[in-house]
Amino acid sequence: MAEWCEPVGRVKGVLLDICGVLYESGDGGGVPIVGSVEAVKRLKEANLKVRFCTNETQATREKFVKKLQNLGFDITVDEVFSPAPAVCQVLKERGLRPHLLVHDGLRPEFDQIDQSNPNCVVVGDAAEYFTYKNMNEAFQILMGLEKPILISLGRGRYYKETDGMKLDVGAYMKALEYACDIEAEVVGKPAAMFFLSALSDMGLEPDQVVMIGDDIVYDVGGAQQCGMKAVQVRTGKYRPCDEQHPTVKADGCVNNLAQAVTILLEHLH
Amino acid sequence: MSTRRILKAVLIDLSGTLHIDDTAVSGAQEALQKLRSSPVAVKFVTNTTKECKRALFERLHKLSFDIHEDEIFTSLTAARNLVEQKQVRPLLLVDNSALEDFEGVDTTDPNAVVVGLAPEHFNYDTLNKAFRLILDGAPLIAIHKARYYKKVDGLSLGPGPFITGLEYATDVKATVVGKPEKSFFLEALRSIGCQPEEAVMIGDDVRDDVGGAQSAGMLGILVKTGKYRLGDEGKTNPAPYLMCDAFSQAVDHILYNML
Repeated sequence: MAEWCEPVGRVKGVLLDICGVLYESGDGGGVPIVGSVEAVKRLKEANLKVRFCTNETQATREKFVKKLQNLGFDITVDEVFSPAPAVCQVLKERGLRPHLLVHDGLRPEFDQIDQSNPNCVVVGDAAEYFTYKNMNEAFQILMGLEKPILISLGRGRYYKETDGMKLDVGAYMKALEYACDIEAEVVGKPAAMFFLSALSDMGLEPDQVVMIGDDIVYDVGGAQQCGMKAVQVRTGKYRPCDEQHPTVKADGCVNNLAQAVTILLEHLH
Repeated sequence: MSTRRILKAVLIDLSGTLHIDDTAVSGAQEALQKLRSSPVAVKFVTNTTKECKRALFERLHKLSFDIHEDEIFTSLTAARNLVEQKQVRPLLLVDNSALEDFEGVDTTDPNAVVVGLAPEHFNYDTLNKAFRLILDGAPLIAIHKARYYKKVDGLSLGPGPFITGLEYATDVKATVVGKPEKSFFLEALRSIGCQPEEAVMIGDDVRDDVGGAQSAGMLGILVKTGKYRLGDEGKTNPAPYLMCDAFSQAVDHILYNML
Protein backbone atom coordinates (compact mmCIF):
# COMPACT_ATOMS: atom_id res chain seq x y z
CA MET A 1 0.00 0.00 0.00
CA ALA A 2 2.88 2.37 0.68
CA GLU A 3 5.55 1.39 -1.84
CA TRP A 4 5.96 5.08 -2.51
CA CYS A 5 7.65 5.41 0.89
CA GLU A 6 10.09 2.58 0.21
CA PRO A 7 12.85 1.99 0.84
CA VAL A 8 12.62 3.28 4.40
CA GLY A 9 14.59 6.48 4.85
CA ARG A 10 14.66 7.25 1.12
CA VAL A 11 12.25 10.14 1.24
CA LYS A 12 13.92 13.37 2.38
CA GLY A 13 11.59 15.95 0.93
CA VAL A 14 7.98 16.53 -0.06
CA LEU A 15 6.56 18.67 -2.85
CA LEU A 16 3.00 19.74 -2.18
CA ASP A 17 0.39 21.05 -4.56
CA ILE A 18 -1.69 23.75 -2.88
CA CYS A 19 -5.23 24.04 -4.35
CA GLY A 20 -7.09 20.83 -3.68
CA VAL A 21 -4.45 19.56 -1.27
CA LEU A 22 -3.97 22.25 1.36
CA TYR A 23 -7.20 24.14 0.79
CA GLU A 24 -10.10 24.73 -1.54
CA SER A 25 -10.26 28.20 -3.09
CA GLY A 26 -13.46 30.17 -3.27
CA ASP A 27 -15.33 33.23 -2.11
CA GLY A 28 -14.05 34.67 1.13
CA GLY A 29 -10.57 33.29 0.60
CA GLY A 30 -11.30 29.61 0.68
CA VAL A 31 -11.41 26.81 3.21
CA PRO A 32 -8.59 24.55 4.50
CA ILE A 33 -9.03 20.87 3.75
CA VAL A 34 -9.54 18.89 6.95
CA GLY A 35 -6.24 17.91 8.54
CA SER A 36 -4.03 19.77 6.08
CA VAL A 37 -2.80 22.52 8.43
CA GLU A 38 -1.67 19.88 10.92
CA ALA A 39 -0.20 17.74 8.16
CA VAL A 40 2.17 20.48 6.98
CA LYS A 41 3.29 21.08 10.59
CA ARG A 42 3.94 17.35 11.05
CA LEU A 43 6.07 17.20 7.91
CA LYS A 44 8.25 20.08 9.04
CA GLU A 45 8.54 18.67 12.57
CA ALA A 46 9.81 15.42 11.07
CA ASN A 47 12.65 17.41 9.49
CA LEU A 48 11.54 16.72 5.97
CA LYS A 49 12.20 19.47 3.40
CA VAL A 50 8.90 20.94 2.24
CA ARG A 51 8.19 23.00 -0.87
CA PHE A 52 4.92 24.02 -2.47
CA CYS A 53 4.42 23.71 -6.19
CA THR A 54 1.38 25.56 -7.43
CA ASN A 55 -0.07 26.77 -10.72
CA GLU A 56 -2.11 29.37 -8.87
CA THR A 57 -2.11 32.58 -10.90
CA GLN A 58 -4.95 34.69 -9.57
CA ALA A 59 -2.75 36.58 -7.10
CA THR A 60 0.86 37.47 -6.38
CA ARG A 61 2.83 34.96 -4.31
CA GLU A 62 2.93 37.40 -1.39
CA LYS A 63 -0.84 37.85 -1.27
CA PHE A 64 -1.46 34.17 -1.84
CA VAL A 65 0.89 33.07 0.94
CA LYS A 66 -0.58 35.65 3.31
CA LYS A 67 -4.01 34.18 2.64
CA LEU A 68 -2.78 30.68 3.45
CA GLN A 69 -1.01 31.89 6.60
CA ASN A 70 -4.29 33.46 7.70
CA LEU A 71 -5.88 30.05 7.29
CA GLY A 72 -3.29 28.68 9.72
CA PHE A 73 -0.72 27.21 7.33
CA ASP A 74 3.00 27.19 8.16
CA ILE A 75 4.20 28.46 4.78
CA THR A 76 6.52 31.22 3.50
CA VAL A 77 6.99 32.86 0.12
CA ASP A 78 10.43 31.28 -0.32
CA GLU A 79 8.91 27.82 -0.11
CA VAL A 80 6.41 28.48 -2.90
CA PHE A 81 7.07 27.80 -6.58
CA SER A 82 4.55 29.40 -8.88
CA PRO A 83 4.53 30.19 -12.62
CA ALA A 84 4.60 33.99 -12.55
CA PRO A 85 8.17 34.44 -11.28
CA ALA A 86 9.24 31.59 -13.55
CA VAL A 87 7.72 33.23 -16.63
CA CYS A 88 9.25 36.62 -15.78
CA GLN A 89 12.62 34.89 -15.93
CA VAL A 90 11.76 33.45 -19.35
CA LEU A 91 10.52 36.81 -20.66
CA LYS A 92 13.70 38.57 -19.56
CA GLU A 93 15.97 35.90 -21.04
CA ARG A 94 14.24 36.01 -24.40
CA GLY A 95 13.60 39.75 -24.66
CA LEU A 96 9.85 39.22 -24.74
CA ARG A 97 7.37 42.00 -24.00
CA PRO A 98 4.04 40.45 -23.00
CA HIS A 99 0.44 41.39 -23.47
CA LEU A 100 -1.04 40.00 -20.25
CA LEU A 101 -4.29 38.03 -20.30
CA VAL A 102 -4.22 37.41 -16.56
CA HIS A 103 -6.18 38.03 -13.40
CA ASP A 104 -5.80 41.62 -12.18
CA GLY A 105 -4.43 40.26 -8.92
CA LEU A 106 -1.42 38.80 -10.71
CA ARG A 107 -0.32 41.96 -12.53
CA PRO A 108 2.02 43.22 -9.79
CA GLU A 109 4.25 40.17 -10.45
CA PHE A 110 5.01 41.78 -13.82
CA ASP A 111 5.81 45.29 -12.53
CA GLN A 112 9.45 44.98 -13.59
CA ILE A 113 8.57 43.70 -17.06
CA ASP A 114 8.43 45.93 -20.13
CA GLN A 115 4.90 45.55 -21.51
CA SER A 116 5.07 48.19 -24.23
CA ASN A 117 4.62 47.17 -27.86
CA PRO A 118 3.94 43.52 -26.97
CA ASN A 119 5.53 40.73 -28.99
CA CYS A 120 3.87 37.86 -27.16
CA VAL A 121 0.82 36.98 -25.08
CA VAL A 122 0.99 35.50 -21.58
CA VAL A 123 -2.19 33.79 -20.43
CA GLY A 124 -2.86 32.82 -16.82
CA ASP A 125 -5.93 31.82 -14.80
CA ALA A 126 -7.75 35.07 -15.44
CA ALA A 127 -11.11 33.69 -14.21
CA GLU A 128 -13.73 36.44 -14.48
CA TYR A 129 -11.25 38.49 -16.53
CA PHE A 130 -11.69 35.94 -19.34
CA THR A 131 -14.29 38.17 -20.94
CA TYR A 132 -14.97 37.89 -24.69
CA LYS A 133 -13.45 41.36 -25.07
CA ASN A 134 -10.22 40.41 -23.30
CA MET A 135 -9.92 37.12 -25.19
CA ASN A 136 -10.50 38.97 -28.47
CA GLU A 137 -7.84 41.53 -27.64
CA ALA A 138 -5.26 38.81 -26.99
CA PHE A 139 -6.35 37.02 -30.18
CA GLN A 140 -6.00 40.15 -32.32
CA ILE A 141 -2.54 40.85 -30.90
CA LEU A 142 -1.38 37.32 -31.71
CA MET A 143 -2.82 37.52 -35.24
CA GLY A 144 -0.95 40.78 -35.76
CA LEU A 145 2.44 39.32 -34.88
CA GLU A 146 4.68 37.93 -37.56
CA LYS A 147 5.81 35.30 -35.10
CA PRO A 148 2.93 34.76 -32.66
CA ILE A 149 4.14 33.52 -29.25
CA LEU A 150 1.63 32.34 -26.66
CA ILE A 151 2.93 31.43 -23.21
CA SER A 152 0.51 29.71 -20.86
CA LEU A 153 0.94 29.63 -17.09
CA GLY A 154 0.06 25.98 -16.66
CA ARG A 155 -2.37 24.03 -18.83
CA GLY A 156 -4.81 22.65 -16.26
CA ARG A 157 -8.27 21.71 -17.51
CA TYR A 158 -10.25 22.64 -14.40
CA TYR A 159 -10.04 22.96 -10.63
CA LYS A 160 -12.43 22.76 -7.71
CA GLU A 161 -13.58 25.78 -5.79
CA THR A 162 -15.98 25.82 -2.87
CA ASP A 163 -18.90 26.46 -5.21
CA GLY A 164 -18.03 23.87 -7.85
CA MET A 165 -15.66 23.02 -10.70
CA LYS A 166 -14.25 25.88 -12.74
CA LEU A 167 -12.51 26.07 -16.12
CA ASP A 168 -8.74 26.47 -15.76
CA VAL A 169 -6.23 28.30 -17.93
CA GLY A 170 -5.74 25.24 -20.19
CA ALA A 171 -9.19 25.63 -21.75
CA TYR A 172 -8.47 29.22 -22.70
CA MET A 173 -4.98 28.34 -23.88
CA LYS A 174 -6.54 25.75 -26.21
CA ALA A 175 -9.09 28.32 -27.42
CA LEU A 176 -6.34 30.73 -28.48
CA GLU A 177 -4.25 27.90 -29.97
CA TYR A 178 -7.21 26.89 -32.14
CA ALA A 179 -8.11 30.44 -33.09
CA CYS A 180 -4.58 31.33 -34.20
CA ASP A 181 -3.51 27.87 -35.33
CA ILE A 182 -0.43 27.95 -33.06
CA GLU A 183 0.95 25.95 -30.15
CA ALA A 184 1.44 27.50 -26.73
CA GLU A 185 4.53 27.13 -24.54
CA VAL A 186 3.75 26.10 -20.97
CA VAL A 187 5.46 27.53 -17.88
CA GLY A 188 4.49 25.91 -14.58
CA LYS A 189 3.28 22.35 -13.92
CA PRO A 190 3.70 19.97 -15.67
CA ALA A 191 6.81 21.44 -17.32
CA ALA A 192 9.82 19.50 -16.06
CA MET A 193 11.80 22.70 -15.59
CA PHE A 194 9.26 23.80 -13.01
CA PHE A 195 9.52 20.69 -10.83
CA LEU A 196 13.29 20.56 -11.18
CA SER A 197 13.73 24.13 -9.96
CA ALA A 198 11.92 23.18 -6.74
CA LEU A 199 14.08 20.06 -6.34
CA SER A 200 17.23 22.07 -6.94
CA ASP A 201 16.14 24.54 -4.28
CA MET A 202 15.72 21.65 -1.83
CA GLY A 203 19.11 20.25 -2.84
CA LEU A 204 17.56 16.82 -3.38
CA GLU A 205 17.43 14.26 -6.17
CA PRO A 206 14.05 13.31 -7.71
CA ASP A 207 14.11 9.88 -6.07
CA GLN A 208 14.39 11.50 -2.65
CA VAL A 209 11.21 13.52 -3.05
CA VAL A 210 7.50 12.65 -3.14
CA MET A 211 4.95 14.86 -4.87
CA ILE A 212 1.42 15.02 -3.46
CA GLY A 213 -1.31 16.51 -5.67
CA ASP A 214 -4.94 16.30 -6.77
CA ASP A 215 -4.42 16.50 -10.53
CA ILE A 216 -3.65 13.03 -11.90
CA VAL A 217 -2.04 14.31 -15.10
CA TYR A 218 -0.34 17.56 -14.23
CA ASP A 219 0.66 16.92 -10.59
CA VAL A 220 1.14 13.14 -10.47
CA GLY A 221 2.04 12.46 -14.12
CA GLY A 222 4.22 15.55 -14.38
CA ALA A 223 6.18 14.69 -11.22
CA GLN A 224 6.63 11.04 -12.28
CA GLN A 225 8.07 12.21 -15.59
CA CYS A 226 10.81 13.94 -13.56
CA GLY A 227 11.66 10.78 -11.68
CA MET A 228 9.71 11.44 -8.50
CA LYS A 229 7.17 9.16 -6.87
CA ALA A 230 3.78 10.85 -6.79
CA VAL A 231 0.62 10.36 -4.78
CA GLN A 232 -2.90 11.48 -5.61
CA VAL A 233 -5.27 12.76 -2.93
CA ARG A 234 -9.01 12.25 -3.17
CA THR A 235 -9.73 15.91 -2.44
CA GLY A 236 -9.93 18.94 -4.72
CA LYS A 237 -10.46 18.15 -8.37
CA TYR A 238 -10.07 14.39 -7.85
CA ARG A 239 -12.70 12.26 -9.60
CA PRO A 240 -13.05 8.46 -9.18
CA CYS A 241 -12.27 7.91 -12.88
CA ASP A 242 -8.77 9.31 -12.18
CA GLU A 243 -7.89 5.94 -10.60
CA GLN A 244 -8.45 4.29 -13.98
CA HIS A 245 -6.57 6.89 -15.99
CA PRO A 246 -5.39 5.41 -19.30
CA THR A 247 -1.83 6.71 -19.10
CA VAL A 248 -1.01 7.78 -15.55
CA LYS A 249 -0.92 5.42 -12.58
CA ALA A 250 -0.27 7.19 -9.27
CA ASP A 251 2.25 5.55 -6.95
CA GLY A 252 -0.34 5.88 -4.21
CA CYS A 253 -3.89 7.11 -3.77
CA VAL A 254 -4.95 8.44 -0.39
CA ASN A 255 -7.98 10.19 1.03
CA ASN A 256 -6.22 13.46 1.79
CA LEU A 257 -2.94 15.09 2.71
CA ALA A 258 -3.31 14.15 6.39
CA GLN A 259 -3.50 10.45 5.50
CA ALA A 260 -0.55 10.74 3.12
CA VAL A 261 1.57 12.32 5.85
CA THR A 262 0.55 9.70 8.43
CA ILE A 263 1.62 6.90 6.08
CA LEU A 264 4.84 8.66 5.16
CA LEU A 265 5.87 9.36 8.75
CA GLU A 266 5.18 5.75 9.72
CA HIS A 267 7.72 4.65 7.13
CA LEU A 268 10.41 7.17 7.87
CA HIS A 269 12.50 5.20 10.29
CA MET B 1 -18.07 8.39 -63.61
CA SER B 2 -20.34 5.94 -61.78
CA THR B 3 -23.92 5.66 -62.90
CA ARG B 4 -26.05 8.10 -61.04
CA ARG B 5 -29.72 7.89 -60.32
CA ILE B 6 -32.19 10.47 -61.58
CA LEU B 7 -31.69 13.94 -60.17
CA LYS B 8 -34.38 14.55 -57.58
CA ALA B 9 -33.12 17.53 -55.55
CA VAL B 10 -31.02 20.66 -55.75
CA LEU B 11 -29.51 22.19 -52.60
CA ILE B 12 -28.69 25.87 -52.95
CA ASP B 13 -26.42 27.97 -50.75
CA LEU B 14 -27.69 31.45 -49.95
CA SER B 15 -25.07 34.09 -49.15
CA GLY B 16 -22.61 34.41 -52.04
CA THR B 17 -24.65 32.20 -54.35
CA LEU B 18 -28.14 33.75 -54.62
CA HIS B 19 -27.29 37.11 -53.09
CA ILE B 20 -24.45 39.16 -51.69
CA ASP B 21 -25.67 41.07 -48.66
CA ASP B 22 -28.74 42.95 -49.89
CA THR B 23 -28.10 42.56 -53.61
CA ALA B 24 -29.29 39.62 -55.68
CA VAL B 25 -26.74 37.88 -57.92
CA SER B 26 -27.54 38.89 -61.49
CA GLY B 27 -30.20 36.67 -63.09
CA ALA B 28 -30.60 34.51 -60.02
CA GLN B 29 -34.33 35.14 -59.50
CA GLU B 30 -35.19 34.11 -63.06
CA ALA B 31 -32.93 31.09 -62.85
CA LEU B 32 -34.71 29.94 -59.71
CA GLN B 33 -38.07 30.30 -61.48
CA LYS B 34 -36.79 28.15 -64.35
CA LEU B 35 -35.57 25.52 -61.91
CA ARG B 36 -38.97 25.40 -60.24
CA SER B 37 -40.62 24.55 -63.56
CA SER B 38 -38.69 21.26 -63.51
CA PRO B 39 -39.57 18.25 -61.35
CA VAL B 40 -36.69 18.64 -58.85
CA ALA B 41 -37.19 19.54 -55.19
CA VAL B 42 -35.35 22.62 -54.00
CA LYS B 43 -33.82 23.34 -50.57
CA PHE B 44 -31.87 26.39 -49.45
CA VAL B 45 -29.02 25.58 -47.08
CA THR B 46 -26.90 27.90 -44.97
CA ASN B 47 -24.55 27.94 -41.99
CA THR B 48 -25.93 31.01 -40.32
CA THR B 49 -26.05 31.10 -36.54
CA LYS B 50 -27.30 34.63 -36.14
CA GLU B 51 -30.35 34.83 -38.31
CA CYS B 52 -33.47 32.80 -37.76
CA LYS B 53 -35.28 31.29 -40.76
CA ARG B 54 -37.87 34.04 -40.84
CA ALA B 55 -35.21 36.76 -41.16
CA LEU B 56 -33.50 34.90 -44.00
CA PHE B 57 -36.82 34.35 -45.74
CA GLU B 58 -37.74 38.04 -45.46
CA ARG B 59 -34.47 39.15 -46.95
CA LEU B 60 -34.80 36.81 -49.95
CA HIS B 61 -38.45 37.69 -50.41
CA LYS B 62 -37.52 41.37 -50.56
CA LEU B 63 -35.08 40.53 -53.35
CA SER B 64 -37.94 38.94 -55.30
CA PHE B 65 -36.84 35.34 -54.89
CA ASP B 66 -39.65 32.80 -55.16
CA ILE B 67 -38.96 30.98 -51.92
CA HIS B 68 -40.90 29.40 -49.04
CA GLU B 69 -39.79 29.55 -45.44
CA ASP B 70 -40.00 25.79 -44.98
CA GLU B 71 -37.56 25.29 -47.88
CA ILE B 72 -34.83 26.89 -45.80
CA PHE B 73 -32.55 24.51 -43.87
CA THR B 74 -29.95 26.13 -41.65
CA SER B 75 -27.32 24.88 -39.26
CA LEU B 76 -29.67 26.10 -36.53
CA THR B 77 -32.38 23.79 -37.94
CA ALA B 78 -29.87 20.96 -37.94
CA ALA B 79 -29.06 21.66 -34.29
CA ARG B 80 -32.72 21.75 -33.35
CA ASN B 81 -33.37 18.47 -35.17
CA LEU B 82 -30.50 16.81 -33.31
CA VAL B 83 -31.77 18.11 -29.96
CA GLU B 84 -35.21 16.68 -30.73
CA GLN B 85 -33.78 13.37 -31.95
CA LYS B 86 -31.72 12.99 -28.78
CA GLN B 87 -34.65 14.21 -26.67
CA VAL B 88 -32.48 16.54 -24.63
CA ARG B 89 -33.08 19.94 -23.03
CA PRO B 90 -30.38 22.34 -24.23
CA LEU B 91 -28.53 25.21 -22.63
CA LEU B 92 -28.57 27.50 -25.68
CA LEU B 93 -25.43 29.55 -26.16
CA VAL B 94 -26.81 31.19 -29.30
CA ASP B 95 -27.48 34.73 -30.43
CA ASN B 96 -30.82 36.16 -29.26
CA SER B 97 -31.92 36.60 -32.85
CA ALA B 98 -31.51 32.86 -33.40
CA LEU B 99 -33.61 31.79 -30.42
CA GLU B 100 -36.76 31.95 -32.53
CA ASP B 101 -35.64 28.79 -34.34
CA PHE B 102 -35.67 26.93 -31.02
CA GLU B 103 -39.15 28.00 -30.05
CA GLY B 104 -41.03 25.15 -28.46
CA VAL B 105 -37.87 23.38 -27.32
CA ASP B 106 -37.81 22.71 -23.59
CA THR B 107 -34.80 24.48 -22.09
CA THR B 108 -35.57 24.01 -18.39
CA ASP B 109 -33.09 22.03 -16.28
CA PRO B 110 -30.73 21.61 -19.26
CA ASN B 111 -28.94 18.32 -19.97
CA ALA B 112 -27.27 19.32 -23.25
CA VAL B 113 -25.25 22.28 -24.52
CA VAL B 114 -25.70 23.96 -27.93
CA VAL B 115 -23.06 26.49 -28.98
CA GLY B 116 -23.33 28.95 -31.86
CA LEU B 117 -21.80 32.35 -32.55
CA ALA B 118 -22.76 34.14 -29.34
CA PRO B 119 -20.11 36.54 -27.99
CA GLU B 120 -22.46 37.70 -25.23
CA HIS B 121 -22.48 34.14 -23.84
CA PHE B 122 -18.74 33.54 -24.11
CA ASN B 123 -18.04 34.89 -20.62
CA TYR B 124 -16.52 33.00 -17.72
CA ASP B 125 -19.78 32.38 -15.84
CA THR B 126 -21.77 31.04 -18.77
CA LEU B 127 -18.93 28.92 -20.09
CA ASN B 128 -18.48 27.44 -16.60
CA LYS B 129 -22.17 26.59 -16.56
CA ALA B 130 -21.80 24.82 -19.91
CA PHE B 131 -18.59 23.13 -18.73
CA ARG B 132 -20.22 21.65 -15.62
CA LEU B 133 -23.15 20.28 -17.62
CA ILE B 134 -20.82 18.57 -20.07
CA LEU B 135 -18.66 17.21 -17.25
CA ASP B 136 -21.84 15.67 -15.86
CA GLY B 137 -22.55 13.92 -19.17
CA ALA B 138 -24.42 16.49 -21.26
CA PRO B 139 -23.71 16.23 -25.01
CA LEU B 140 -21.98 19.22 -26.63
CA ILE B 141 -23.55 20.29 -29.94
CA ALA B 142 -21.65 22.82 -32.04
CA ILE B 143 -23.47 24.72 -34.76
CA HIS B 144 -20.12 25.16 -36.43
CA LYS B 145 -16.49 25.61 -35.37
CA ALA B 146 -15.42 28.74 -37.23
CA ARG B 147 -12.16 30.13 -35.82
CA TYR B 148 -13.08 33.74 -36.38
CA TYR B 149 -15.21 35.98 -38.53
CA LYS B 150 -14.67 39.30 -40.20
CA LYS B 151 -16.12 42.44 -38.71
CA VAL B 152 -15.81 46.03 -39.85
CA ASP B 153 -13.06 46.68 -37.30
CA GLY B 154 -11.10 43.47 -37.79
CA LEU B 155 -11.22 39.77 -36.93
CA SER B 156 -13.32 38.50 -34.05
CA LEU B 157 -13.27 35.13 -32.28
CA GLY B 158 -15.87 32.68 -33.59
CA PRO B 159 -17.45 29.82 -31.63
CA GLY B 160 -14.71 27.34 -32.62
CA PRO B 161 -12.11 28.43 -30.04
CA PHE B 162 -14.58 28.28 -27.13
CA ILE B 163 -15.91 24.91 -28.24
CA THR B 164 -12.33 23.65 -28.44
CA GLY B 165 -11.70 24.90 -24.90
CA LEU B 166 -14.78 23.06 -23.61
CA GLU B 167 -13.73 19.91 -25.47
CA TYR B 168 -10.29 20.07 -23.85
CA ALA B 169 -11.58 20.75 -20.35
CA THR B 170 -14.15 17.94 -20.45
CA ASP B 171 -12.37 15.48 -22.74
CA VAL B 172 -15.59 15.30 -24.76
CA LYS B 173 -15.86 15.76 -28.52
CA ALA B 174 -18.49 18.16 -29.84
CA THR B 175 -20.97 17.02 -32.47
CA VAL B 176 -20.72 19.63 -35.22
CA VAL B 177 -23.95 20.04 -37.18
CA GLY B 178 -23.26 22.74 -39.78
CA LYS B 179 -21.58 22.61 -43.20
CA PRO B 180 -19.32 20.92 -44.19
CA GLU B 181 -20.41 18.04 -41.92
CA LYS B 182 -21.87 15.09 -43.83
CA SER B 183 -24.73 14.98 -41.34
CA PHE B 184 -25.85 18.47 -42.36
CA PHE B 185 -26.37 17.50 -45.98
CA LEU B 186 -27.93 14.14 -45.15
CA GLU B 187 -30.32 15.84 -42.75
CA ALA B 188 -31.29 18.43 -45.41
CA LEU B 189 -31.98 15.63 -47.90
CA ARG B 190 -33.85 13.50 -45.34
CA SER B 191 -36.58 16.14 -45.23
CA ILE B 192 -37.02 15.79 -49.01
CA GLY B 193 -36.76 12.02 -48.86
CA CYS B 194 -33.98 11.51 -51.37
CA GLN B 195 -30.50 9.97 -51.39
CA PRO B 196 -27.26 11.97 -51.84
CA GLU B 197 -26.72 10.27 -55.22
CA GLU B 198 -29.96 11.87 -56.37
CA ALA B 199 -28.92 15.40 -55.42
CA VAL B 200 -26.62 18.23 -56.45
CA MET B 201 -25.35 21.20 -54.36
CA ILE B 202 -24.70 24.70 -55.74
CA GLY B 203 -22.46 27.00 -53.67
CA ASP B 204 -19.59 29.49 -53.60
CA ASP B 205 -17.56 27.95 -50.76
CA VAL B 206 -15.31 25.23 -52.11
CA ARG B 207 -14.85 23.56 -48.71
CA ASP B 208 -18.11 24.10 -46.86
CA ASP B 209 -20.47 23.79 -49.87
CA VAL B 210 -18.84 21.68 -52.59
CA GLY B 211 -16.35 19.67 -50.52
CA GLY B 212 -18.90 18.88 -47.85
CA ALA B 213 -21.65 17.93 -50.31
CA GLN B 214 -19.40 15.71 -52.38
CA SER B 215 -18.09 13.82 -49.38
CA ALA B 216 -21.72 13.16 -48.47
CA GLY B 217 -22.21 11.54 -51.89
CA MET B 218 -23.71 14.45 -53.80
CA LEU B 219 -22.35 16.26 -56.85
CA GLY B 220 -21.08 19.80 -56.22
CA ILE B 221 -21.26 22.82 -58.53
CA LEU B 222 -18.92 25.65 -57.55
CA VAL B 223 -20.07 29.14 -58.60
CA LYS B 224 -17.55 31.93 -59.04
CA THR B 225 -19.47 34.52 -57.05
CA GLY B 226 -19.37 35.48 -53.38
CA LYS B 227 -16.34 34.16 -51.54
CA TYR B 228 -14.96 32.23 -54.51
CA ARG B 229 -11.27 32.98 -55.20
CA LEU B 230 -9.26 31.98 -58.27
CA GLY B 231 -7.79 28.56 -57.66
CA ASP B 232 -10.38 27.43 -55.12
CA GLU B 233 -11.30 24.55 -57.40
CA GLY B 234 -7.95 22.96 -56.63
CA LYS B 235 -8.59 22.94 -52.91
CA THR B 236 -11.01 20.06 -52.73
CA ASN B 237 -10.55 16.40 -53.58
CA PRO B 238 -12.29 15.24 -55.67
CA ALA B 239 -12.52 18.46 -57.68
CA PRO B 240 -15.94 20.06 -58.08
CA TYR B 241 -18.20 18.23 -60.53
CA LEU B 242 -18.65 21.53 -62.36
CA MET B 243 -17.51 25.17 -62.27
CA CYS B 244 -19.96 27.90 -63.27
CA ASP B 245 -19.73 31.65 -63.49
CA ALA B 246 -22.88 32.07 -61.42
CA PHE B 247 -26.14 30.51 -60.27
CA SER B 248 -28.00 30.96 -63.59
CA GLN B 249 -25.35 29.02 -65.51
CA ALA B 250 -25.54 26.25 -62.91
CA VAL B 251 -29.31 26.03 -63.36
CA ASP B 252 -28.97 25.93 -67.15
CA HIS B 253 -26.52 23.04 -66.86
CA ILE B 254 -28.89 21.12 -64.60
CA LEU B 255 -31.89 21.68 -66.86
CA TYR B 256 -30.08 20.72 -70.07
CA ASN B 257 -27.67 18.04 -68.86
CA MET B 258 -28.89 16.40 -65.71
CA LEU B 259 -32.61 15.74 -66.14
